[in-house]
Amino acid sequence: MRKLVLALIVILSVLVFSQQVTLRMIQVFTSPLRTKVLEDIISKFEAQNPGVKIELISPPYETAYQKIYLMVSAEEPLDIVEVGDWSLSALASMGKLLSLEPYLAKSELTKHLVPGVLEAARTYKGTAYLLPNAIYVKTLFYRPDVISKYGITPPAKTMDELLEHCRRLTKPEVGQYGFDFRGKGYPTAFIDIVMTSFFDDIDPNCMYLKRDGKLIFEDPRALEAIKFYIELFKTAPKDSINWGFDEQVNAFASGITPYLFQDPDTVGLLNEIMKEGTYKTAPLPIGRGGKAYPTIGFAGWGITSYSKYKDLAWKFLEFFNSPEINAYWCRDYGALPVDVRVYEIDPYFKSETFYGWTAMFEDEKHYQFTKYPLDNEAWSEWNELHETTMQQVLLGKMKPEDALKTWADFWKKAGLVKK
Amino acid sequence: MEEGRACEEVKRSKLWILMLVPTFALVFFVNLYPLVRGGVISFQRLTVFNLNNPRFIGWNNYRTILSDPAFPRLLWNTFVWIACSVTFQFLFGLILALLLAKPFFGRGLYMGLVFYPWALSGFAIGLLWSWLLNGQFGIVNDVLIRLGLLRTPIGFLSDERFAMFSVILVNVWYGIPFFAIMLLAAIQSIPSELYEAAQIDGAGFFRKLFSVTLPYIRPTIYSTVLLRIIWVMNFPDIIYGMTRGGPAGATNILSVQMINIVYYRNNFGLASALGMIITAILTIFAVIYLAVLERGEFEL
Repeated sequence: MRKLVLALIVILSVLVFSQQVTLRMIQVFTSPLRTKVLEDIISKFEAQNPGVKIELISPPYETAYQKIYLMVSAEEPLDIVEVGDWSLSALASMGKLLSLEPYLAKSELTKHLVPGVLEAARTYKGTAYLLPNAIYVKTLFYRPDVISKYGITPPAKTMDELLEHCRRLTKPEVGQYGFDFRGKGYPTAFIDIVMTSFFDDIDPNCMYLKRDGKLIFEDPRALEAIKFYIELFKTAPKDSINWGFDEQVNAFASGITPYLFQDPDTVGLLNEIMKEGTYKTAPLPIGRGGKAYPTIGFAGWGITSYSKYKDLAWKFLEFFNSPEINAYWCRDYGALPVDVRVYEIDPYFKSETFYGWTAMFEDEKHYQFTKYPLDNEAWSEWNELHETTMQQVLLGKMKPEDALKTWADFWKKAGLVKK
Repeated sequence: MEEGRACEEVKRSKLWILMLVPTFALVFFVNLYPLVRGGVISFQRLTVFNLNNPRFIGWNNYRTILSDPAFPRLLWNTFVWIACSVTFQFLFGLILALLLAKPFFGRGLYMGLVFYPWALSGFAIGLLWSWLLNGQFGIVNDVLIRLGLLRTPIGFLSDERFAMFSVILVNVWYGIPFFAIMLLAAIQSIPSELYEAAQIDGAGFFRKLFSVTLPYIRPTIYSTVLLRIIWVMNFPDIIYGMTRGGPAGATNILSVQMINIVYYRNNFGLASALGMIITAILTIFAVIYLAVLERGEFEL
């Protein structure tokens, strides 16, 4: 009898302790390539932590944000949520994300983060609700093989040079154009790279404000910039008003438009479809204001405030950001690592492909990082308005002056200008 | 006799109520509840920033939509989109059904191929055609240029003059099989004696078409056209996949705008209000359509 009881206890305890803990995790920027890398990292974590299973949910990118908003607001089982710079404020304002500050205070990782990353993570009310694992900064991609055919050897260093090069390249009769234009699907960042380069006094905390607190759209330099942007559009195929990311990459890879502004995740894609050395990167061209104003985009993992396994979720976040894993993640997916040690252990991130970014990071005089007003509720509406009004301007249906006035009115109504 | 008694039994035991429950539950949860919920949301300020504490704001969402200077254009675009799409889908569908009515060698295979677009997802079709019609490296432009019909490529989706034409073209291509399938089924149910009698009376092809075929399949035509009008109005997939309503709103219709409001602005209240407006327009239209037809000898 005693033996039987003992056996039962043993069996029961085995059953109890071997019970698996399942973390549920959802990603936003789903792609086949990315999902594969992610699953690989997850299986490494599971191997190190017996009894832990991570279930990855990968909704199509188009609907991912909506799905996450709804799941989180209804407190559906989720432990780890992908948070991007554009969704941070919405998710954090729901009060369903856990503040990671207590964990960050204790973590070794904090010491090794690239400068600016922690500040970026604290965009919403000064509290970090995510641990970024990759940063995204736009730079200039160019095709040395194509531009050299037209006698252009060093790539454009200034916006005026860029326009001049693009005009020289544009030969519609042979299907050659200059600038790889972005017309649809969140073209905001592309417009702003050109727009802000005409200024030298952009607020480091807000892209649309000058240091004197006034909106850039009410400044005569904005009009100059928008007219310049129209000229740049003339060196792109007319069709590009309807181009999103895929069309841009396609036009760049086929050489139709050898100048492109893009994020580092384009590198992963280009390496798959192009031969080595057929494309390079250079710092963003400097505008008439003598500067360029890139922004640091970021994405990472957050933990839901209602998760049952918060500590375990944090363990995964730390694992994900450990130098080896972070290097693997950024390398395969194409992003800039957030840990300074990665740049030392992996020479890939110091290679020529990344010249554009390293040069920008080192030149603080000309490249001043700034931020989008992502914590403003009007931000997502702005993207729609910006896209349609810009298209109207490019098609000649709206005067640049009117567009600027619409934009200024929009941000005044949204309370961006402090009185 | 046995059957009759069983029937009585069911009636007396009120079992029939229980039997109806699944159907009602399904209709309630799948149709009625979302509709009512959408109606409620349309009077609320409900965005991603206040998902957990929406507040009622009366008719504000409706006012925002109706006072938008782009709204008349949206309505007009929606009208053009429906009118052109359904007209041409119907015409080509009818022609196809007439061609397929008589057996010929390889008809099965041919039908399979022709009906194939109907099996695809609208969004996938949009993406597919947006590459085919691409103004820079699209195959349609390439073929037209090689044939010497064009000198420079046309911006099918980027030129305002062509964008609406292009999305309608794709929708017509997509929707022909529906009419063909429905009309073919109706045509095949016409008794052959009618044609034989017409033949004896010396009727030609057009005479037979207008005096036998069309009158006989008229109920099918009426109901399929109504269905298609409703579906096409609620069908943003193709436009969303091809242009997202651009360039500069040239192809924006009500249902695409609804998606844009959800995806870009994250404003569910506003999107619901637009949804209710679409529902109202369709209801009014359907009532008038059916009333007009009822005066004729319409039977569903």
